[in-house]
Amino acid sequence: MAAIITARQLGKRYGNFKAVDGISFEIGEGECFGFLGPNGAGKTSTVRMIHCVSPVTSGTLTVSGMAAHVDNRAVKQQTGVIPQEITLDNDLTVRENLQVHAHFFAIPRAEAQRRIDGLLKFVELEKKRDSRIDQLSTGMKRRLLIARALLNQPRIIIADEPTTGLDPQARHLIWQRLRQLKGQGTTLVLTTQYMEEAQQLCDRIVIMHQGRILKEGVPARLIAEEIGREVAEIRAAPDQDERLLAELAPLARGHERVGDTLYLYSDDGRALMKKVLELDLPATVHRPASLEDVFLKLTGRGLIE
Amino acid sequence: MNFSHRILYVFWRNMVSYKRFVLTTFLASLIQPLFYLITFGIGMGAYIGHFGGKPYLYFLVPGVLITSVMMTASFECMYGTFVKMIHEKLYDSLIATPASAEDAVAGDIAWAAFRGLFSGSLMMIVAIFMGILPVSIISVLLLVLLMVFVGVLFGSLAMIVTSFAPNFDFFSYYSELVMTPMLFFSGVFFPLDNFPGWMKTLAQFMPLTHAVAIARAIFNGDYTRGLLFNFLVIVVLEVVTFLIGVRLMKKRLIK
Repeated sequence: MAAIITARQLGKRYGNFKAVDGISFEIGEGECFGFLGPNGAGKTSTVRMIHCVSPVTSGTLTVSGMAAHVDNRAVKQQTGVIPQEITLDNDLTVRENLQVHAHFFAIPRAEAQRRIDGLLKFVELEKKRDSRIDQLSTGMKRRLLIARALLNQPRIIIADEPTTGLDPQARHLIWQRLRQLKGQGTTLVLTTQYMEEAQQLCDRIVIMHQGRILKEGVPARLIAEEIGREVAEIRAAPDQDERLLAELAPLARGHERVGDTLYLYSDDGRALMKKVLELDLPATVHRPASLEDVFLKLTGRGLIE
Repeated sequence: MNFSHRILYVFWRNMVSYKRFVLTTFLASLIQPLFYLITFGIGMGAYIGHFGGKPYLYFLVPGVLITSVMMTASFECMYGTFVKMIHEKLYDSLIATPASAEDAVAGDIAWAAFRGLFSGSLMMIVAIFMGILPVSIISVLLLVLLMVFVGVLFGSLAMIVTSFAPNFDFFSYYSELVMTPMLFFSGVFFPLDNFPGWMKTLAQFMPLTHAVAIARAIFNGDYTRGLLFNFLVIVVLEVVTFLIGVRLMKKRLIK
């Protein structure tokens, strides 16, 4: 797979604050690549440099063989951006929003009209074409942002937390549309705080924290490597740890104590759960390991502010 | 500086949006200047009588015309741009397209100049209906051209203010401390001749003084050599403020 985006020791600094601290990654053409991380991890700063609205402070960043910088109109011409915030034009209707946007990509009028009709269908907003933006729900606004990002038939789509604040139906619709685009060969660059979203969409992810990449890999493999297949969460007071761990630790591949919960990681939880039953610990949840466990293990389970 | 033809598309976006507000702004941009014309022109004008052989209104109309261009263009680049930048995040979506920050800002200044021209032209039409006519059709065309220049100048100045405005309230400093004094010390309502020397000097530093002097000369057809200087001041200020305004806004938009 040929790389379409390559970063080497990429850094971003705002005054004295290092938002991105020398990260390197490669994104292949047609891949869905996810940046995961808590607030302030540097995800948005990174993708803003990729789509050329924020200057690179240090290192190199190449997009489609071109150096990314704020005056690179050629990169912007082939990139579609689904922003984190709703940046629709409130003074215009749904259709006018798309028409005005199409101008900036030099799409001829008739062609723009054809694409707008197709895209409104794609995001299921045909009936709202003449509505004002304030008459749309948040989910509809987010869908319109997707349609807008696709107007220029981009090679690369940047989706910066595309489902924040949406209900499950709207979220699933957006996931389906993004998967469809990926199926058509578009490269997807996603940032998210939702582990489920990353698991649903991404071929590869990096977990970022404080401007650095902590881990890179395929979601399923990361879970297997870092956590295992299953997690047992036992609610028990910390003073029980010694007694519990003496019995349970040999049956697990790792454990962690956070607040009122003892986490035990395993590849095959049957022996472990048998022991849990023997010890009579009813406040126990046994579940498959998820990307969330990896994320919390790497970035810490405490609050990040 | 990275300008392109996309400035036109930014202008076009504003045009599409404006069609919904055209009626309300129509009234708003007419009321204040009309108020000046009636109170100063007709009310006070009755006491003043003639000015250089012509009724006072011939003195007043060109000044009010330019003032209305100044007000409209300034407010467009302050409140209008601020809302688009901070509240609606429109600039963010513009600069994610092949348009540059420079295109976006220049497009808004061009738009402000157009809005200014629109208000000024309305005033001119009102004046014509009141029987106060520019000397010739050439004068009308030159006034239109001048209004565009003045619109770009005040739009750019306001852009500079907007580039470091933390919030809406900040704009009242500019309008109260800069625009209002300019209105009274730039010879809009009365000639500067009777001011003490230092005040006359101060007036020379106000762009409105020069704009009004040119407008009045064009309106009444009394061209003098001194106008060249006035025009030079306008052009130089315009280029400088435009470039500074664009640069400062870019600094605010691109981080």
